[in-house]
Formats: sequence, structure tokens, C-alpha cells
Amino acid sequence: MSPIRIRGVGAVSTAGWSAEALLQAVRAGSPLPGAACNRPGDERPWPCDTRRVPPVPPEKIARHPRLRRVSAITRYSVAAALEALSDAGHDPAAPPRDIGILFCMMNGCVNYTGRFFHEVQRNPAQASPLIFPETVFNAPASHIAALLGIDGAVSTLVGGPNTIMEAIDTATYWINSGVVAECLIIAAEECDWLSAEALTYYHPKLSAAEGAGALLLSASGNGPQLSAVIGPLAYTSWQERHQRLPELAVQTRPHLHGTATLIDDRTGIPKLDRSEAAAWSGCTWNAVRSPKVVLGESMGASVALQLALGTLEARATQQPVVISMPGANTAAYACVLTP
Amino acid sequence: MPPPSRQRIAITGAGIVSPLGMGWAENERSLAADRMAFKPVELFDTTALIAKTAGVVDLPQENLFQRVPAHKQDRIDRGTRMLLLAIREALAQAGRSNMDGIDAMVMGTSAGAMPLGEVYIENARQEPGRVPSQLSRAEHYLPQRQMNIIADEFGWRGPIIIVSNACASGANAIGWAADMIHSGRAKCVLAGGYDALARLVFAGFDCLHALAPSGIPRPFDAQRDGLALGEGAGVMLLEAEDQHHSNVLGEVAGYTTATDLHHLTQPDPTGKAAIRTMTGACAQAGVTAQDIGYVNSHGTGTPFNDVAEAAAIAAWAGDAVPGIRVSSTKSAMGHLLGGAGAVEAVICLMALRGQWLPASLNVRTVDPGVRFDLVQTFRPASLEYALTNSFGFGGTNATLVLKRRSA
Repeated sequence: MSPIRIRGVGAVSTAGWSAEALLQAVRAGSPLPGAACNRPGDERPWPCDTRRVPPVPPEKIARHPRLRRVSAITRYSVAAALEALSDAGHDPAAPPRDIGILFCMMNGCVNYTGRFFHEVQRNPAQASPLIFPETVFNAPASHIAALLGIDGAVSTLVGGPNTIMEAIDTATYWINSGVVAECLIIAAEECDWLSAEALTYYHPKLSAAEGAGALLLSASGNGPQLSAVIGPLAYTSWQERHQRLPELAVQTRPHLHGTATLIDDRTGIPKLDRSEAAAWSGCTWNAVRSPKVVLGESMGASVALQLALGTLEARATQQPVVISMPGANTAAYACVLTP
Repeated sequence: MPPPSRQRIAITGAGIVSPLGMGWAENERSLAADRMAFKPVELFDTTALIAKTAGVVDLPQENLFQRVPAHKQDRIDRGTRMLLLAIREALAQAGRSNMDGIDAMVMGTSAGAMPLGEVYIENARQEPGRVPSQLSRAEHYLPQRQMNIIADEFGWRGPIIIVSNACASGANAIGWAADMIHSGRAKCVLAGGYDALARLVFAGFDCLHALAPSGIPRPFDAQRDGLALGEGAGVMLLEAEDQHHSNVLGEVAGYTTATDLHHLTQPDPTGKAAIRTMTGACAQAGVTAQDIGYVNSHGTGTPFNDVAEAAAIAAWAGDAVPGIRVSSTKSAMGHLLGGAGAVEAVICLMALRGQWLPASLNVRTVDPGVRFDLVQTFRPASLEYALTNSFGFGGTNATLVLKRRSA
């Protein structure tokens, strides 16, 4: 098996429409400003904060017939994917056709789903046939494949934020077995009032965010190597998660030689962060980055943003980067990126 | 094109829950009787919709999950209940009472636990204040939380992978699992697909005018006017052939997936991606079209799908096309969406084991584009290989080739 490298990265986040904007914001460390998330036509008797992706700059608008009425999650994903291709030295307007696409998400196309269901509740006979196909989980991957002209292996995975690690595992097989030459892995999420409210049920201070991260994986070329993957450490409850997280640090240590940067999953809310903080407490780091503290909780996109950030940190510091991915529902992971 | 298959992948257990019945035996009896399973939908209001019937599963009323207390059973989605029953049957066939030794679970679904999400949305819209149990609904709407309930039921821990490529999800999940075994990442994987009827999805297909107004799908009929939805689950236990097996039911001999870029919801009329997946899966299995004794088509009954698939089968089979035996079991049970590919793969396995062909029902006049042998009534047959096609919204195409093992 050839080692897998992250040749290119792209990101759309609360910090802006580029991976560089993500890096600068997270290095600065200050939480980005949020705004109250309004309910359509209703007052909400409890606060509900969101941190949204800023308006799209004109140069980031991709033009294609398929993209005319797509939802935000697709627009973020397209921009991140094109940036990753460009970062890897490909012409995003004419990328190689032997690239695979693996798309990961947790909530999916929530804006159109909420809107379509509302139409169904009002009068199903008048529900829009244009909206319904955009509610399907794999619509964003389909649009990106059409935009890039990729007609081979394209798949969508639904799960927690760490699902991207299963995608990386499969991409590694696809690349090493010749199914594809390279693989674009994208994870994305869009925010709406329903998902923002849902987060407040977990903790009233959780701020819903959105965005997309994209990685171009390859067995050739330059870029940080994915030198170790720890996990999945499977769990089905928060208590079991707490018990398993210390294994992340124990299993990561043998892969670390010299100083490293940690990119963790902490939210800035002590109650939610306690287990992860305890797990890594015996380790010394060159620097610790906590993207969620800065960006907010971008759910299915969050680990992709961690990995994109880690790639940029490894390139900049020429030191290893550890990504901590405790996950939310099913399994914890960590990985080591080596420059 | 995937590399040729080297690792033989044994199917050691299979389970099926469909509108035609619970389990292998009931489904086989229904298929042998050319029975249809459509009835009025009572799970939600269909008054304002064109279509009012579907293939509905009659789930047992009792609590199926022994480790979930009675007061928490409402957290479990219908689709997950069907999946549990299919998993239990697959494990029992493999001589297992639990999931010990299973390296991963790969499941396909299109809608997940959408009905729980619908209740969450309804509550949130109706109540400005906090609603009791909303956190639970928000959590359990996520398909991975539903999979956790299944993992807990068996006291199992391992990777859970959920593939969601619309109507190809179930076939993709089985192919994904086969790839895990091919690559040496796993020795034993539980794979399949499921979906339950959901109001949002039903209304979605209805507004697209994709559902047959009469409620009767007629795949490959010249006057076909749409599909019927259904629900169900299909599961296979896949194991590397070098494992010790007492009972091998068949093999996953080939799998290929490709993407149709033509349109988000309509196939390329020439079936380009389907030709590629059928050709690729056969190449991986080391067979040609002449060796395929039965094709379980995607065969939805919509005008666009069937003409494209018929063209693809003709191009793939070449001169052999008149002898290619094809049917669509969606004509009997409906389109099971994320469950379709897996359930139809299990039906192919049943056909290989039983040496029979299930029928395409309700055909009055065969579409002129059909050049293959459209099987219109259940019949005994000799077959060594079966192929199943699954095509989804978004353009995901998947083909599985299964190989017979003598009973």
C-alpha cells in the first residue's frame, strides 16, 4: 500500500471562502461573531445563536446549469472542491476524469428539506417538484460530479463528523487498487433554524455553524502524509465515549517523534469538552488549535475543516499535526499528519 | 473499472423483509405465486396526493428490540425495525446468535429515520417553546443513532458505515462491504439496505409525477406510467472465502459503480453508466452476458428508466440479448428506495438457490425497446449467475453479480 498524501485542500467556513481564511481565523483564536437565528414567523423564548458563512465573493461563484438552484451545502462544497483541486495543481476547469468523489454529511440538505416538508404540510398537491430532488442526501455529490465531469466512483456517506475517516479508508483502497488515480473527499453542512435549535437542546451555548472542507488524496505528489490513523474506537453512548477517549492519546503517542501541533474538537464549553481535554492532558504540544471555538459547531463538516487546517499547519510548520476527533455518535478517531 | 476479483466473497447469511413477507420463505412463496403486495397507505394522509397505495410491510406489533425499554421503543424508526428483522434472519442462517466476529456494518438508506425527523419539524413549527423529547427526536432522526440501537441490541461495537446514494444505496453498501473484504480491511461484514415509507418522500415522488396513478407499476410495459413505492430491508453477511464456513449460500462475484451525469433525476437515454456497471461487474466476476442466467433489473416502471435500462441491457448483452432473462420484482413489491438494491440482491440469491426466476408482473404490451426475454410469470430455470441493477437519483448506478453455490 502506498502512503496517502493530502495534495490539496479547500475550505468554506464561518471564517470565509478559502482555506487560508480558515487558517488565519483559527490561529487568531477569537470566536467569530454570531447572530441570533430567527424562526420564520415566530418568536423563540430562548436564545439560539448561529455563525454563518459570509456572503459568497463573486470569484467563488461556479457557473453550471446544474448549480442554478442548488442549496447552500452544494455551493460551499463546490467552492471547497475547486479550491482543493487548484491547490493540488489541477486546473479546476478541466480536472482529470479519473478522480473519485466521496462526500460526507450528517444533516444534509436541511434547508430544502425543511422547505419542501413545509410545502407538503400546507398542500402536497402544490409541493415543488424542483425542490424535492435537492433534498436527497447525494444531491451535492451528484452536482459536483456533473460540474467536474467525473463519471466513475462517486458516493455519499451519512454519519457523524468522523464518517470522513471511513471515506479516507475507502479512498485509500480505491487509489491503491487503481479504481481511481486520486480522490476528492468533501464533507459539508448547511445551517437552518431547525438544526440550530436542535443544537441548543444539547447545550444552550452551542452555536450552530456551517461550511465545507475538501481534501484531494493521492499516492503521488507533495503534501502531508496521513501517517497514522487511530480508531475507530466505537461507542454508542456519551458515557462510553468518555471511557474510550483516553485510548486516543495512548495509541497516538508511539507515532509522535518531536513536537507536534494538536487540532482538537473542543467547543469552548467545559461540560462538552471535559472528556477530550482529559484524554490529551498528559501531552505537550507546540500549539493547540480549537477550530470549533472560533468557527462554531459545523457538525458534519467539522472534521473536514480540522483536516484542511491540519494540512495547512503541517505545511507551514514542517512539524507533525495530530487531529483529535472524538466524534458525537458512533466512534472516536485521531490521526497524525506528517509533513 | 475495478480490478479483477481475487478474494472470493462468500454469502453466509441473508435476510429479507419486504411487502411480500417477513423472511426468505414468505418472500419465496409470494414470488412463486406471482403475488402483488400493494395496499392503501395508512401511515400518513394521502388525500391530496395522486397515488394512495404502496408496498407496505406488516410489522409485528410487539417490541422487537429486547434491550430497549418499552418507553423508549418510539425512538426506533420503522426502517430500523425492518432492518433488525432482516439482520436476525441473516445471522440465523449463518448459524450465529450475535454479531461477534463481524468487523463492520455497512448499510444503505435513502431516507434514514425521516419519519422521526418529520415529527421533530412538526413539533418545532407548532410550539414556539421547548418541546419535551425534541432532543431525542433530533438525535434519533440520524441514521447512525438508529444503527447504534442495533449495535446495542447485539452488544456489538465496530465501524458503522451508512451509504446514501438514493435508490442505489443498498447495492452500493453490499459492494462497499465486498471492497472492504477484497482489500483485506475486513474478513466479515454485515451489509444491506433499508428504507421505510415516509410522508416527505412519498409526496416528493408524487409531485414529480413519478408514481403510477393507478398504484400498479408496470415495468417494461409500453404504457407504463410510473412506479409504486414500497418499504423493506435486505441484509447479507459477507465473509472472506478463507474463513471457515459451514454454509455458503452464494458469492458476491462482481460489483461496479459509476455515475450518470445526464440529469439529477433522469437517466441518460442510452444507459451509458449502466452499460459500464454491468460490463464492469461481469468482468470482475470473470463472466460474460451469456453466463448471466437472470437479471433483476432496476425496472421502476417509469417511462425514462425502463427505456434507458432496456437500451443498456441490449448494448451490454450484444447478440446474446434475446436469451437474457430479465424481470423487475418492483412490479410486485414496489420500489424500496435505499432498501431496493439489497432486497433485490437477496432475491437474486434466492433465485440462484432455488433455481427459479421471479416475474415482472402487470405487463400488458411489452415495450418495443425490450429485446430481452422479459420473464412475465414465475418459472423454474437453471442459472449459475444472477445480476442486479440499481440506479439512483443523482446518477449513482450500481451492479452486483452473484454466483450460485450448490445447496
